[in-house]
Amino acid sequence: METSSERTGSGPRMERAIYHALSQKEARELDVQHPGTQRAEAFVRAFLKRSTPGMSPRAREDQLQRKAVVLEYFPRRKRKEAKKKSRGLSARQRRELRLFDIKPEQQRYSLFLPLHELWKQYIRDLCNGLKPDTQPQMIQAKLLKADLHGAIVSVTKSKCPSYVGVTGILLQETKHVFKIVTKEDRLKVIPKRDCVFSVETDGFLSYIYGSKFQFRSSERSAKKFKAKGTIDL
Amino acid sequence: MATLRRLREVPRHLLVCEKSNFGHDKSRHRHLVETHYHNYRVSFLIPECGILPKELKNLVTETGPYYFVKNLPLHELITQEFINTFVKKGSCCALTYNTNIDEDNTVALLPNGKLILSLDKDTYEETGLQGHPSRYSGRKIMKFIISIDLMDLSFNLDSKKYKRISWSFKEKKPLKFNFLLAWHPTGMEESTMMSYFSNYGIQEHQPKIAVSMVTDLQCPVLQSSELRGKLEVACSARELFDWLGAVFSNADLNNEPSNFISTYCCPQPSTLMAKASLCTITGFILPEKICLLLEQLCHYFNEPKLAPWVTLTVQGFADSPVSWRENEHGFQKGGEHLYNFVIFNNQDYWLQMAVGANDDCPP
Repeated sequence: METSSERTGSGPRMERAIYHALSQKEARELDVQHPGTQRAEAFVRAFLKRSTPGMSPRAREDQLQRKAVVLEYFPRRKRKEAKKKSRGLSARQRRELRLFDIKPEQQRYSLFLPLHELWKQYIRDLCNGLKPDTQPQMIQAKLLKADLHGAIVSVTKSKCPSYVGVTGILLQETKHVFKIVTKEDRLKVIPKRDCVFSVETDGFLSYIYGSKFQFRSSERSAKKFKAKGTIDL
Repeated sequence: MATLRRLREVPRHLLVCEKSNFGHDKSRHRHLVETHYHNYRVSFLIPECGILPKELKNLVTETGPYYFVKNLPLHELITQEFINTFVKKGSCCALTYNTNIDEDNTVALLPNGKLILSLDKDTYEETGLQGHPSRYSGRKIMKFIISIDLMDLSFNLDSKKYKRISWSFKEKKPLKFNFLLAWHPTGMEESTMMSYFSNYGIQEHQPKIAVSMVTDLQCPVLQSSELRGKLEVACSARELFDWLGAVFSNADLNNEPSNFISTYCCPQPSTLMAKASLCTITGFILPEKICLLLEQLCHYFNEPKLAPWVTLTVQGFADSPVSWRENEHGFQKGGEHLYNFVIFNNQDYWLQMAVGANDDCPP
């Protein structure tokens, strides 16, 4: 019987090797009758079953296929994947995404008036009700940490004369810039630097010096303000 | 040391002298007189003259009145009514009173319809009108000039420019000043300024006139063709200028060593004049009146007179924001801008224009 033991391991080849049909010459010499492929397969299986009584069929298959049982596992040192930190997007990517843009059809003053009402309510709650006799210092301190989205701001003083007088509802506050929608439904982008803004709440008029206010609104709530430098524009 | 050096420094001043003839076609005397708007003091000196001639005296007494208004808000000067009544019909001149040009906000209205505001930095940043920084600021700009053309505005009252200017003057930053006003109507209209500003407490003033006679005056000898003077023959224009200043301040011109106040002496060659009349008009004087005065002085030499020459000196307000035309005027250690005519008997004249430190060169 010719067995090819060159290649072990792969199942179908093994089977072909075992169940390889005898050549005619060999069959005549050895006086063997060709039983047929299926009968031969069945015979081998029955024989193996009888020879290894304690093994499950699966284990027998595994043994035949010479699967190794791994006792200890030493993985190869793979290249470490760069840990995906949630850094957020850079300003350029954010601008490209246009997530924070306000579309022209949404730039209407009347749309944001309810927001302004909300903001007024928020400020009133923040200052525990704005009575006429509340101390301005308290309002000042609260406003420094408050969120100004929805407030009506107007520019009172500016190094550039064309910014003076712009009034509207604040839509977005970024690190250096206020985005305001005016009554004429125009979106104005006013840089904070070298400008003085005035915010009016229930009879209290506050002036915000933009040069000292150049922080993101999220960072500003945690910032301690020091009176440093001059407030001259 | 640096302070001492700075204190000893004389601020720069410019004196421009030119000579011409009144009959000359291209003579600029009219133009220069008419474009020097805010005149404070006019004086003329006539040597060898005892009594002022009648026409001159009449003219002097007839220099028109000027008006003083308190707390006039600026938006009153840009109303259509004001522009139509005063600016368009004649030449209207206005200047804020008692404001220092280097410290406070100053406003001037020129006869050609321009309103000039010279504001300090904080006021400029609050008005929100477009202007340019003054030419005489140091490293940090403290003064800004805004120029508004009223004639241009009155064409179109609905323009954005007019709306912004009136918003700024009425709501954003209402400014009030005490004004000195003068108006020269073209045509035979009566001056209606009193009635127009009646609710602002307008007062009418007449210019102060002082006539005096100076005796035994040493006068320099001048030749009309020699502006720079000739040695031993005539004095230069600069020497005449200094001498004239000494005469107006009543300084003794004899260089006495014991004189504490002045050691100035009359430039040589000089002659002794027995008498000279000196007349000074102080007030807010319009350029048109000065033109008339100049013409009258030219006609002084129609009859032969003893005097070789007469002088007419005009000084401008130290606090005016403009000197000639719209040249910017500033105040450093002295805010003078003045001009002086020397009129000779052959209708030649010398014109000297002097400005102080923070000024452009006279035209």
